Amino acid sequence: MSVVLTKNPMDALYNEFKEKAEAISAEVHRVADVKAARELVTKIIKELGTNKVVYAPSELTQSIDVQAIGKDAGVEMTSENLRQNAADAGLGISQLDYAIAEIGTLVGNATSIESRMVSILPPVHVALVRTANILPNLLETIALYNNKLGELPRYLTFVTGPSRTSDIERVLTIGVHGPGRLIIVFID
Amino acid sequence: MAIAKLKQDINSALNNDNLTGALGRFGEAYLPAREKAYEGKDFAAIREQIKEIKSYAADHMEELAEQFAKQAEKNGAKVFRAKTAAEAKEYIAKVVKEHNAKTVIKSKSMASEEIHLNDYLLKNTGVDEVAETDLGEWIIQLCGQRPSHMVMPAIHMTRDEVAEIFSKETNQNLDPDIAKLVKVARENLRQKFLRAGIGISGANIAVAETGTIVMCTNEGNGRLTTTVPPVHIILVGLEKLVPKFKDVGPILEALPRSATGQKITSYVTMISGPTPAIDLDGNIIEQKELHIVLMDNGRTAMRDDPMFKQALQCIRCASCLNVCPVFQKVGGHVYGHVYTGGIGTILTAFLNSFEKAGELQNLCLRCERCKTYCPGKIDLPALIAELRRRTVEKNGLPMGQKLILEKVLTNRKLFHSLLRTASVAQKPFVKGNVIRHLPLFFSGLTEGRSLPAIAAKPLRDKVGHYVPKSKPKAKVGYYAGCLGDFVYPEQGEAAYKVLGKMGMEIVFPLEQTCCGIPATQMGAPEVAVKLAKQNIEAFEKEGLDYIVSLCPTCVEVLKHHYVDYLKNDPAWKERAEKFAAKVVDFPTFVAKHGNNLKFKKLFTKATYHDSCHMKRTLNVWKEPRELLNKAGVKLVEMKGCDECCGFGGSYSIKMPEISKAILDKKLVNAEAAGADVLALDCPGCKMQIAGGLDAKGSKLPVKHTVELLAEALDD
Ligand code: SF4
Repeated sequence: MSVVLTKNPMDALYNEFKEKAEAISAEVHRVADVKAARELVTKIIKELGTNKVVYAPSELTQSIDVQAIGKDAGVEMTSENLRQNAADAGLGISQLDYAIAEIGTLVGNATSIESRMVSILPPVHVALVRTANILPNLLETIALYNNKLGELPRYLTFVTGPSRTSDIERVLTIGVHGPGRLIIVFID
Repeated sequence: MAIAKLKQDINSALNNDNLTGALGRFGEAYLPAREKAYEGKDFAAIREQIKEIKSYAADHMEELAEQFAKQAEKNGAKVFRAKTAAEAKEYIAKVVKEHNAKTVIKSKSMASEEIHLNDYLLKNTGVDEVAETDLGEWIIQLCGQRPSHMVMPAIHMTRDEVAEIFSKETNQNLDPDIAKLVKVARENLRQKFLRAGIGISGANIAVAETGTIVMCTNEGNGRLTTTVPPVHIILVGLEKLVPKFKDVGPILEALPRSATGQKITSYVTMISGPTPAIDLDGNIIEQKELHIVLMDNGRTAMRDDPMFKQALQCIRCASCLNVCPVFQKVGGHVYGHVYTGGIGTILTAFLNSFEKAGELQNLCLRCERCKTYCPGKIDLPALIAELRRRTVEKNGLPMGQKLILEKVLTNRKLFHSLLRTASVAQKPFVKGNVIRHLPLFFSGLTEGRSLPAIAAKPLRDKVGHYVPKSKPKAKVGYYAGCLGDFVYPEQGEAAYKVLGKMGMEIVFPLEQTCCGIPATQMGAPEVAVKLAKQNIEAFEKEGLDYIVSLCPTCVEVLKHHYVDYLKNDPAWKERAEKFAAKVVDFPTFVAKHGNNLKFKKLFTKATYHDSCHMKRTLNVWKEPRELLNKAGVKLVEMKGCDECCGFGGSYSIKMPEISKAILDKKLVNAEAAGADVLALDCPGCKMQIAGGLDAKGSKLPVKHTVELLAEALDD
């Protein structure tokens, strides 16, 4: 379903991001437009076989029309009462603002309670990001926020791969308190 | 009394196979992972930046604390400045009571461990539970232990133990399957998150400019703690302050890489003010309550101490523990406090008790490994030595040691004549080339290691002033060191042979004496200063171009410590500097000036042991290998070639059990290399390794590089 586009200035950064993020167990896709994104997200939901999906309203969730996706996939799609709903949903969908190629990290303003609840409580998190917003490295990302310190979000989040632990005998285990799967969808 | 308890703890740790196994495995995996994480990064540059940021922050602690508080309050947080642990606890308890919370969840915070917050809340508020949510911390909490590592608190436990603990907690019979155990933790803690009224977390960085708190976690518990409960309390020590938002960059680049070999942790959260939350009834709260407790508890005292201020550059990555050979053998619990390892010893002094720390400094080998890895660029071994000095200053040295150091060591004639007497007196004890009792700091019982005998004739009686037939290329002063002079004269003779072939004129100043390191290590720097002056005087008279020694520790002392000891003594400062400028270690000197040397092939397979002070302090490790190559020796590297042999000067006497455990690993690696000979460049390491091999009945000979070179010389 994901397409690889050629001759796009973001290609190199995207490829680097994909390599780094996959190395830490994230799943990375890229689609050409919102229509393709809609199809991909529908497919992911169907494959998961869940009946409840929660989302954090944002510009991208609106453009892919999550409510319509919910209908197509035949699941309850909600952003209400998330203390309860996010805790027993099979999937959470939210938008992140930037991606950092060098380390495979997503970055975004997570001040809204919805964006945090849906990205940490369900076992799977789908993150929507604009392909144009891939930045080269951490220091430039920090510099970017540093340039507009007055608008620093109250809750700025950096997410790299699914939740993990090595606390028992140093054996890596994916998925502890946060999601066990992180699926990233880049939209061109 | 206390030392006896420490020894007991050490012995039980050394006999704990789980512990030594888990730590050993981790120790081996850590370095390659770290290396990989730093690929393409300039560690030296990053640590320099961190040092600058953090030392500035330490100097401006109060200013930054005020700025932080002001900014965070402007953002909508409530900031409380706690001078002491008690104040911090009272404040947090007050908040807990105000909200009538029954369940409190915590995301890893060493500061809260430091003040024993959980206990306090359970006793002084109406809470039913204070749950640690980091998996490792939770395991520790359930079995009533303390964390043994700052980053991996449960590293000392096995899956079987965890299964047992979780089985008890959940009333189930759980298999020791790690993935399943993690799931059990997830489900259990999930319930606690969802019913928690208050979340308490720590912080990795606090930015004064923006009032921002930065937190790094992998499991996601940090995000849950800061998101789900409608009240959030952050407990942060003053040492976490940095001035600017951009300062987060370098710290965030180093912290995960140095801690666990990750490029970044799964979650990094930067909180700059209260966010919306959902209360227990499902209502949206537009602004949750956010409390930030800025805690001092000994940190300004640390800042006010000219030496220990440096320790505030610590970013709590724990890499000093990860590379510490002692920690790898005994784990964190023997340190007996919240903070463990090298940095733990220092923090314990200021955040808990100086007494305890004075005892803990005995654990440090001074192998200097931590210093090369510390991203805060802290000279941990020097700070630990300073702890030692202060303890001695306060409590005094034991009479015997005092007598030896002050009366014997500073009186060269007496010292040397005692050594000579010993070479005779030891005769009844010598069996083959092995002896069990030696005077002074070589004395004491040893286990699993034979000690060499004192030579019948010291080096000073065998060599003297050598003048080459042709015009000398330079005039070299030979510094033997105690071991080189009285135990291994053959090494010095070999050195004379090589230096002579290089066309050097060689002088052995007879007034030279002990470099002083044992005195420094025992906490009597005034004795070391006396010895420094004696040595400087002895060499000054000779009009030398260079001063060469086979012992890297002596070179380090002569070249670096003397200048430092005498820097405030105008009459001596310049003399020490002139002297120091001439001092050079043997391999470097030969590599530089020995191009004319001709060797016949030795046809030997050698493996090489890097001495801690040669490799890390003097940064010399290529040179001896090149020289051995030139001599026709085939080098087969052993595993862990630059890991400490466990000698550490008087350490092998003070902490023989640990010293031996570290030595054992070295011996296994040395023998596994399958070489004909083990080469090294330090008489101390030779004493340790050769002694260990001898006691084990191994036939592998140990030679100083210079001995192999002398053998290979083509005369
Ligand atoms: S002292 Fe250095 S190496 Fe040790 S924890 Fe602190 S920053 Fe890390």
